[in-house]
Amino acid sequence: MKSPFRPDVVPNAGILDDHKPLIRSLERRGLIRGGLSLGALVMLSGCDLDRPESVESALLAIGRFNDGVQALLFDPNKLAPTYPASMILRPPKFNAYYDVVDVKPVSDATWRLELSGLIAERRPWTLPQLQALPQTSMVIKHICVEGWSYIGGWTGVPLRAFLERIGADLRAKYVAFKTTDDYPSSIDMATALHPQTLLALKYGDDSLADPFGYPVRLRMATKLGYKNPKWITAIEVTNTYPGGYWEAKGFPWFAGI
Amino acid sequence: MRRTVPIRILFAFCLVSATTSVAHAQSTTPGGMPSPPGMSLAESAAMRFPQPVRVGDLLGRDVLRPVESQDVLGRVRRLVRDRNGQIMVVVDFGGFLGFGSRPIAVPVDAMVLLGQDMEIVAFTPEQLRQFPTFSPSGATDLADDTIIKVGLAKPSH
Repeated sequence: MKSPFRPDVVPNAGILDDHKPLIRSLERRGLIRGGLSLGALVMLSGCDLDRPESVESALLAIGRFNDGVQALLFDPNKLAPTYPASMILRPPKFNAYYDVVDVKPVSDATWRLELSGLIAERRPWTLPQLQALPQTSMVIKHICVEGWSYIGGWTGVPLRAFLERIGADLRAKYVAFKTTDDYPSSIDMATALHPQTLLALKYGDDSLADPFGYPVRLRMATKLGYKNPKWITAIEVTNTYPGGYWEAKGFPWFAGI
Repeated sequence: MRRTVPIRILFAFCLVSATTSVAHAQSTTPGGMPSPPGMSLAESAAMRFPQPVRVGDLLGRDVLRPVESQDVLGRVRRLVRDRNGQIMVVVDFGGFLGFGSRPIAVPVDAMVLLGQDMEIVAFTPEQLRQFPTFSPSGATDLADDTIIKVGLAKPSH
């Protein structure tokens, strides 16, 4: 019996070969391999498979659609699980897009946190000024898109309190970050205001160690690990989509857990 | 094509889970590396931002090979200071399903922390097979509460 899902015109199967790297990045898990077929692509791309770029844009459209669904499902008051301090992994697990030997420690003598965009008070902040703000601690799971996780204990300034303090426009869409390791990142305002989103200054009871983002990094309980930039040097509040390092390579932007 | 619109949405939902698990591109270079030529183990370990860790927290950890498949080479049995004063990690090496392994002493500077695991970065499995079986004479155990420093690596997968 002919499948009711089969389109009337079957596209050229070579289209999948043209996009092997992109498809492979999408289908590391075996489950996904079964899900992504030429047939599925036809349904999603409106059949215009003769132009290879239409396939790529279809795959990326799936990612954007997914981001939208996740943003709709995000509950700004729902808390991610927390854990007892005895479960904190010391030291935490290192990861970056380069190996640890290439980490460039930040000197706190010259470090400033620059502010820009839809913010009333845009003067830069020093580390002692951030340390003087009320601090919050949380023991949360760091979940990497690669499949591993660990429980970490973070202390710092809730991003919501900081944004309120600097007079940021909390109706703006995005909060964007710049770092010393060329790892731009950005998040939605709803997550920026979530109670488990911290500008982290400490791990356990100690200052962040150099490989983990000293002096300031982002830690969120509600997003995947790659959304948490380290060695932050600038924050911008904006309505223009800022993207990010992995997002530019096709990773989902919302990346909620 | 009109009737396919709901099916499209269905497929989109199937693929929602697909795109949340884009799992690969995070690592492009293998974690771990042997010491560069002419550099001692201690010098290369010092480049890996050694972090304080409690000896008792290392016992029982899996010891991995720094390759994408992350083969388990063994498990940390104990940490000792050898007769030269060097800190060695005694690893139950090799075997199958816990049987047939033997203890070997690996310099801590040849190893890194990888989250909840450790890795041997400075020796290949072939080299490790040539290591003598660990003999406790002349070695003193490090107490569980001792804090030592061990370098880091990024995941190899």
